Amino acid sequence: MKFLARLAAAGAAAALVAACTEPSQDPARSYAGKEDAKAYSGDAFKGDKAKWESALAARSEAQNDYGNYRAAGKKKTP
Amino acid sequence: MARMKFICDAERCIECNGCVTACKSEHEVPWGVNRRRLVTVNDGVPGERSISVSCMHCSDAPCMAVCPVDCFYKTDEGIVLHDKDLCIGCGYCFYACPFGAPQFPQAGAFGLRGKMDKCTYCSGGPEENHSAEEFRKYGRNRLAEGKLPACAEMCSTKALLAGDAEVITKIYKTRVVTRGKGEEIWGWSMAYGGSDKLSDLPGGKA
Repeated sequence: MKFLARLAAAGAAAALVAACTEPSQDPARSYAGKEDAKAYSGDAFKGDKAKWESALAARSEAQNDYGNYRAAGKKKTP
Repeated sequence: MARMKFICDAERCIECNGCVTACKSEHEVPWGVNRRRLVTVNDGVPGERSISVSCMHCSDAPCMAVCPVDCFYKTDEGIVLHDKDLCIGCGYCFYACPFGAPQFPQAGAFGLRGKMDKCTYCSGGPEENHSAEEFRKYGRNRLAEGKLPACAEMCSTKALLAGDAEVITKIYKTRVVTRGKGEEIWGWSMAYGGSDKLSDLPGGKA
């Protein structure tokens, strides 16, 4: 009887844990075309990924006009 | 590197079509193909809003899932690109895309559909960077020059933001909070309704 109760408890636990899986959202099929060169591999950055990332980060931050105005000590309406 | 994304701030967009023009000019996109376009909601009604729409470079892109020749790929920065040499112009990606991003050049009296064309986030395609072939097929590769997409950099009101998702999200959040409408219009409740309390979120702790 105890064995059956343990078996039932183990089965219930397995069924509960099975709901915790997360299916991958990656596409099942792979890319069949040509390989693309990395954006930082050209003459401008010569493979320096960190330099390329910092250049893009600076550009991104330049869109923040509040940040720019704060830096200039000015006040701007939204 | 985080994911590169676009955000369009509808409160700032003045429907000038500068982004559309910048894109067409930068990449010399042919007539009939619009990689970026403006959508106006409640056009003509006071309080109308416009947003600039193109490929949103989805994290789980439906175009990639439905392509029968597997011509789509995603860069390390999360940019969805495709190989035009593989594309057969079937149009499945157009039907799958919720934003209407894939475009098809048409030629001839019978509406012959060419290979798919879409926003590349100004990062070219699977050809040698800055080569004539890359420009002809995909347009200019600004990302390889350390620049952001032309549409966002051209935006006069900075309604269209491009860049690392975390950076542009912070910029947008600053605007929303600064407008004085309060923090309540940012976050979970704004997007999905309900409470903003962390304890009320799914999996949240009291």
